[in-house]
Amino acid sequence: MTVTDRVEQVFIRPDGKEKVTGAGRYTADLNLTGQAHAAFRFADHPHARITRIDTATARAMPGVFAVITHVDVPEIRYGGMVSDRHLFAHDVVRWEGDVVAAVAARTPELARAAAAAIEVDYEVLDPLPDFVANAEPGAPLVHADWQSYGGSRSMGRDGNILGRSTIVKGDADAAMATADVVVRGTYRADASQGAPIEPRAVIAQWTGDKVTVWTSTQVPFAARDGVAHTLGIPQSAVRVIVPLLGGGFGSKCDFHFEGHIAALARAARRPVKLVFSRREEFIAPDHRREGMLIELETGVMRDGRIVARRGRLTLDGGAYCGEGGFFAQMAAMHACGPYVLENVNVESRLVYSTNQPSASVRAPTAPQTCWALEQHMDAIAAAIGLDGAELRRRTLIEAGAVGPAGQVFGEVGAKQALEAALELIGYDDYLRGELPDDEAIGIACGWWPSMASPSGAYVKLNGDGTGVIITGAQECGSGAVMGLPLLAAAELGMRPEDFTLHYQDTDSGPWDMGASGSQTTFNNGRAVIEAAREVRAQLLELASQQLEIDAAELELADGVVRAAGSPDVAVSIADLAGSGTPLLGKGSGELPENPPGETSSCVGVLGMETFLAPQLITHAARVKVDRQTGVVRVMEFAAAHDSGVILNRIGADGQVYGGVLMGIGQALSEATWFDEQGRQRNPGLLDYKLQTASDAPPIHIRWIEIDTPNAGPRGSKGVGEPPSVPTPGAIANGIAKVIGRPVHELPMTAERVWSVAVDSLGLEWIDTSGKDPSA
Amino acid sequence: MSVSITVTVNGITYPLDVDPHASLLHTVRDQVGLTGAKEGCDDSECGACMMLVDGRPTNACSYLAVQADGARVITVEGLAEQDGAGERLSALQRAMLSRGGVQCGFCTPGMLISATALLERTPHPSEDEIRVALSGNLCRCTGYDGIVKAVAAVADGTA
Repeated sequence: MTVTDRVEQVFIRPDGKEKVTGAGRYTADLNLTGQAHAAFRFADHPHARITRIDTATARAMPGVFAVITHVDVPEIRYGGMVSDRHLFAHDVVRWEGDVVAAVAARTPELARAAAAAIEVDYEVLDPLPDFVANAEPGAPLVHADWQSYGGSRSMGRDGNILGRSTIVKGDADAAMATADVVVRGTYRADASQGAPIEPRAVIAQWTGDKVTVWTSTQVPFAARDGVAHTLGIPQSAVRVIVPLLGGGFGSKCDFHFEGHIAALARAARRPVKLVFSRREEFIAPDHRREGMLIELETGVMRDGRIVARRGRLTLDGGAYCGEGGFFAQMAAMHACGPYVLENVNVESRLVYSTNQPSASVRAPTAPQTCWALEQHMDAIAAAIGLDGAELRRRTLIEAGAVGPAGQVFGEVGAKQALEAALELIGYDDYLRGELPDDEAIGIACGWWPSMASPSGAYVKLNGDGTGVIITGAQECGSGAVMGLPLLAAAELGMRPEDFTLHYQDTDSGPWDMGASGSQTTFNNGRAVIEAAREVRAQLLELASQQLEIDAAELELADGVVRAAGSPDVAVSIADLAGSGTPLLGKGSGELPENPPGETSSCVGVLGMETFLAPQLITHAARVKVDRQTGVVRVMEFAAAHDSGVILNRIGADGQVYGGVLMGIGQALSEATWFDEQGRQRNPGLLDYKLQTASDAPPIHIRWIEIDTPNAGPRGSKGVGEPPSVPTPGAIANGIAKVIGRPVHELPMTAERVWSVAVDSLGLEWIDTSGKDPSA
Repeated sequence: MSVSITVTVNGITYPLDVDPHASLLHTVRDQVGLTGAKEGCDDSECGACMMLVDGRPTNACSYLAVQADGARVITVEGLAEQDGAGERLSALQRAMLSRGGVQCGFCTPGMLISATALLERTPHPSEDEIRVALSGNLCRCTGYDGIVKAVAAVADGTA
C-alpha cells in the first residue's frame, strides 16, 4: 500500500446525530420494566480477614429483593495471568474496592441503605501499600497461598512479584565499564486514572437460563466470558450488549461488574441496574495507571553512542492481577525506548500491594516510563555537552537498526517525527534564545507497537443496494468503529453513508478483543475489508452473468458494476442486490506475525519484546514556569507521529488532541493520592484534576506517512494510545530547562516544581517528605 | 412526602410530583423521560448535566426540582428544530460534528448547553471567552479542540 491509497474524506461519524441531539442511549439511560437497583458493600478496611457476614437485617428491610455474598455464587477464581480474585471476597479483603456483598432493592437509596446495614466483622491486617517494599525478599504476602492459584506461570511467582520480565541484549555490565560517561537517575510516578466522564453502569436481565447484560465496557467479549466463567454457565447463555459508551481510556477494559449484577438479577428474579457514583468510579474498578519506581543507568560515549542501558522498574500491581500481568514487559520496552542501544539489561517487576489494582489505561506503563527515560536522555545529553535534540537525532532508530531484543527494524519514521516536531514548535528560535527566561521547550520521543489480534466482520447488502457491517469490534468513542464504513465502501465502490453498523452485541458480531491496544482499525479494518471483498466477488459474478462480460473486465465504482473502459455498460449494485441472491461476506484476514527477535537471555517473554509495525512519536512542549509558585502552564504543543497512513484525518487528529491533553493532566495535575492505609484521598473530580478547555494549549499536528512493513489496512497503524506516551516527558524536560533541575516525581505539581526550583536557586530547602504532596 | 410543581421542558409543560430532595436532573431523566443530560459526578464538577433554566446554564445535578417550579428549562433535546422531515440540527450541532467536537458524546449535551448560552449572551466571543465559558464542562476525549473550533465557527458564521 502506498500513501496514495488513502481515503481522502472528512467523515461525519455515523453516531454523531444521536450524540448531538441527546437521543443516543448510554447504559445508564436504559430502564427495564420491574428493574431493581443495585448497591455494593465494599471492604471496610483495605486489608482484613472477614470473620463474619450477616445479611439478615439487610434482607429484612422493606423494598429489598436480594442480598448476595460469596455463598451465592460458585467458588471460582478469575484473573488474567493469575486467577487471584473472586466476585465476592470471602476470606480476605485486599483493597478498599473489594466487593463483599451486593444488594438489589426498589430504589438506589434503599439499596445503599441495605448495603450499609449488612453486618461484616473483620480481623484487621496490616495494609501493604508500599509496593517497592513488597518486592523485597521475605516481605509479607498479599496473597498468602497464591502458588496454588490457577493461571499462567510464564512471568514467575516470586514473593509478591506477580510479573517479572527482562530485556537483555549483549553484556550491559561490561559495556558500562567502557563508557565515557555513566548517567543515573531515579524517578517516581504516582498512580493516575482513566477517568471517563461516564461512570460505569451495568444492567442484567435473565430470560430462562440466559442472561442479557447491558454494560459500559470496552471489551464485550471479555465481559461475556467473565460472566460465563464466574457463574459457571456456557458462553451461549450470556449475551452482552454495549449501548453508547461514554469513554473508557482503557479503564473500561477487562471483566468488571457484569458477573456481580448477573448473579444479583438471578437472585432478585428481576432485572437489576447498577450505576456508579463518581466516587465509586474512582475506587471500585480494578483499573488505574500503576505507580512506578524507575531506576535508569546509561553508559554513553562522547559522540552520543549509547553503549549500555541498565534499568530496574518496579510497578504497583495492586491487589489483583486483572489483565495487567504482561505490563512488566511493556514497561521494560519503554525503558529502552526507540533508540539504538548496543547493550541492554532492564528488569521490570509488577508487584502486589493492597492498593487498587492497576491495569490498562491508554498506553499502559508507557507515559510514566517514557517520562523518566526522556528526562534521563536529556541528562545524558547534558553530561556529554550535546543538545537533547542532537542526542536523539544521533540515536533514534531507523531502518536496519537492531532493537533491544534483537528485532531488525524496517522503515520507521522516528527521525522524521523528531525533525517535524522541532520545526512545528520553533526549536531553532528557542536555541537562539528567543523565548523569555521563564519559558523553555522540552522534547520527548516514544514508541508504541501495533497489536495483532484475531478479529472478524460480516458485510451484507440490503435489497436497495445499501449495506450493513456486522462487527464484534467495540466503539469507545474514538471513532474507530465509526470509520469502518470508509473501508467497506472503498472496496465496493459505494459511499460510506450507504452502510449502517451493527456492533457491540456478542450474539451477532464475531469475537474481538475490544476497544484496546489501538488495534480496531489494524485488525477489524482488515476483517471488514476481507468481508467486503467477498461481497465484491459475489457482485462481480452476478454482474458478469448479467452483462455477459468476464469478471476480470469489470470494476466497481459510484454504486455500479461496469465494464472497465466502457462505463455505459453497467448494472447498479442496487439492481444486483435486489435480485434475490444473498450478498453476504465474512472476513477475518491473515493475522500479521510479530517480527522475530533474540530473546534467549530474557525472562518473562510475552510477545511485547518486538514491536510489530511500531508507531514512532516526538512531542515538543513550550512551557512557562512561575518560579515563585511552581505553577506550570503548557503554552504550545507539537505532536509528530508516524502512525502509518492516516485513513480519517478528523478522527486521527482527535486522538492526538485528546491524548495530549490527557498527558498534560498526567504531567501536571492528575494523581490518585493513597493514604498510609492505601485508601484513595481524592476520589472525585474536584480533587482529581482533569484539564479544562482553559488549560488546553494550541496543539500542532504532523503525520509522518511512510510505508511500513506489516502495517494494517491501507498502510495504517494505530493512533489512539501514542499521543499519551511522550507528553509528560516533553513537559518535564521543558520544566527542567526553566528551573535548572529536573523534577523526578510525577505528576509535577506546583509544590513539587517549586520545591525543586527553590533548591536550584540555593534557597533554604523546605522539607516536605512524609507529607501529602497534594496538601 | 412529595411536592407538586410545574416545569416547562423544551416548550412542553409538565405537572410533576417530586420528592423535596429530588434534583432537576433526576426529575427530567426519570419523570419527564429525557435522558440527554447526563450524570457524570453529581457534584457540579463535570457539567454533563447542564440545562438552561430560564436561560441560565445550570448544573441540574445540583439544582433541586422544586427550585425549578414555574421555570422554563431547555435540555439538549430542545436544541434541534423539528419539522416535517424530522430534526434539523442547529448550526452549533452541525459544527460540533464537522469540526470533530464529538467523540464518546457523553459530555456533548452539557457542552452544547454551555456553548448555546455563551452564544446567546456573547454572539462573537473571543477564543479565550469560549474556553472560559466551557471550563465547567469536562471532556476527556477531544482535548476541547474540535469543540472550541465549532463554537468559533458558529460565531463567525462559517459553521
